[in-house]
Amino acid sequence: MSRDENPFGELLQDYVLECLPLAEQIADAFVELERQWRDGDPADDLLASLAGRLHTVKGNSAMMGLAPAQEVAHALEDACGLLRRSPERRTDASASLLVAGGELLADLVRNAAPDLDPVPAASFVERVRRWMEAEVSLLPGTLPERRRADRRTGSDAAGSGKVDSVVRVDFRRLDAMLEVLGEGLIQHSALAEAYRGLVRQTGGCDELERLDQAVLALEKTLKRLESTLMDTRLLPISTVFGRFPRMVRDTAEGAGKRVRLVHSGGETPLDKAVLDRLSEPLLHLVSNAIVHGIESPDARRASGKPEEGTLRLDAAPMAGRVVIRLGDDGRGLDELAIRKKAEGLGHEVRSEDAIPLRSLIFLPGLSTADTVSALAGRGVGLDVVAGAIHALGGTIDVATERGKGTTFTLSLPVTLAIVRSLIVEIDHERFAVPLAHVAETVRVEPETIREINHRGVTQWRGDLIHVADGGAMLGTAADRIEPRRFYVVMAAGGRRRGLLVDRLVGHQDVVVKGLDPTLGRPDVVSGTTILGDGRVACIVDAVRILEGGRRAG
Amino acid sequence: MPAEELLGFTDTMEARSAAEAAPAPGPELHLLTFALDREEFGIPVTQVREVIRVADITRVPQAPAHVRGVANLRGRILAVVELRSRLGLAPAELTPRSRVVVVEVRGRVLGLLVDAVSQVTKVPQASVVPAPEEVVSGDAGYVTGVARWQSRLIILLDLEKALLPTE
Repeated sequence: MSRDENPFGELLQDYVLECLPLAEQIADAFVELERQWRDGDPADDLLASLAGRLHTVKGNSAMMGLAPAQEVAHALEDACGLLRRSPERRTDASASLLVAGGELLADLVRNAAPDLDPVPAASFVERVRRWMEAEVSLLPGTLPERRRADRRTGSDAAGSGKVDSVVRVDFRRLDAMLEVLGEGLIQHSALAEAYRGLVRQTGGCDELERLDQAVLALEKTLKRLESTLMDTRLLPISTVFGRFPRMVRDTAEGAGKRVRLVHSGGETPLDKAVLDRLSEPLLHLVSNAIVHGIESPDARRASGKPEEGTLRLDAAPMAGRVVIRLGDDGRGLDELAIRKKAEGLGHEVRSEDAIPLRSLIFLPGLSTADTVSALAGRGVGLDVVAGAIHALGGTIDVATERGKGTTFTLSLPVTLAIVRSLIVEIDHERFAVPLAHVAETVRVEPETIREINHRGVTQWRGDLIHVADGGAMLGTAADRIEPRRFYVVMAAGGRRRGLLVDRLVGHQDVVVKGLDPTLGRPDVVSGTTILGDGRVACIVDAVRILEGGRRAG
Repeated sequence: MPAEELLGFTDTMEARSAAEAAPAPGPELHLLTFALDREEFGIPVTQVREVIRVADITRVPQAPAHVRGVANLRGRILAVVELRSRLGLAPAELTPRSRVVVVEVRGRVLGLLVDAVSQVTKVPQASVVPAPEEVVSGDAGYVTGVARWQSRLIILLDLEKALLPTE
């Protein structure tokens, strides 16, 4: 296959063009951080400025199936996150770890290829993991208190001297503005596409370079307009958190528990539409933690814990998304009992290593009443909670330790109006797959997809996952002979599933448009959007496809 | 149809419309007419927003059979109904004469895929007769009548009944 015919090759070039400058900036910034920390400057702004770039590199690498770069970017993201929260950890040792990671990341991006040696990345990721474990155990629980103090000073500053610069605007007007912006974004994509076509045809010239600059500048302006407009739609998450203190007190009282709620990050902004749909599942998790997670005062005393349990609710913006953590210091999940229960329900729990606990507890059926007592842990309606979070384009994960506690981590899009998506082509039809639910894209190698019970199955990161044909799933015109060349691993909660496609076209921030009632209620697409070339594409409803995994082939 | 009968019918029509809208002798219907199969259909121009050439229509998975898909109408998503299937006719290939009639029915904007658009025609209200049963195949609740005018036979559609399913 020549490089021109190879859509992956074309994409790979785009990837290097976009990500290499970012990776190099990141590497440079780490060196600069090291210098400033030595001089005693915490360099907060520089550190904070890296999150977006790391996230972009991570996301793009994941989309290209370049796992080493993705994992290194991810590890660096985690490390930076920890360092942002705790200035006292900004040491020489930390800096040299970052510098090494930055160099490695730039290398991995520069030499991007599907068959790159995975060892250096893996060993670096391991290094970061060990470093973080050491760091975290050194300094337990200093975080929320300091953050609260920060916030107080922040709001004082904001509270002084601004009174009459507020205008009330009907929310529908903001929607209308967003629609116009959406058209602008589409027109920009069309322009960028035409530019790339010109470069391919002519090989480039000075004028084209200027055009490129102009297209890039336009994109930046539109992005700024987008973020300004988005900001006007946002409300602080405290509008939801505010309901919790009383609810926690009442629930704890009813359950005979003593619980203290510590929350931070209430100023984190979220789209009103997301907030409206978030409060219900979050309330569910909080009450779950109180009723099932935190032990009775007697039991806590017996196991050497303070009688009063602590519930931590923490929100923070993270590169275009919002991460919410809900942690308790209760008894933790009983993994063995959960596995037994899942097996009893007929779920495939063959090897304990193959299916992580976190995919099990979100399975439907683990939410029956007898589960509660039998597991002596969580499980009440978690599938419902997970469903609600997924429907928002979010993800939910859980970490637990026997006797120490359980932490749920939710990652949510800041808005539902614009969704970063992977555009794929199946039988000449294009579809958008929200990137929040794309774990990886994989080139189909011969003999790697086997058929078991008339369903495609493949090995993916050590697990067996189902791979379905995108054409069959989405009903495209069938008569094809050529096999599909890629599959997209969609993931939500613990569910994973591959979708076979012909081509990976690229990624785009798509403006989500609803489905007219005339179109019925399809359960494989959630909406529509307009692509750069003006054509309409359907947005694949990854969450519902994953949820329907057992019945749909 | 015997002449006496027709005359008698027009009389009642005129009497009725005179009773409803007093100072309008010989009212006219303004229709946009279009072709489907070998028939000519008409809808009130007041329901028509515009007529566009057929651009790319994107299929929507699992949509009802009579829905052709969605199209980009200047940045808005337009659902396009395959009017032939809706009326029980065989679906047609797209031709250069194919058009999408953009209509607004009870506040909802939809596109109707038709074989060709003729023109806006003024038809005397008096030329409208109830639809003979053999005119349309399938359930004809959405045919309000037939206009016989200058040797043309125009089937009048009630878009509300044809497009908005009763749920």
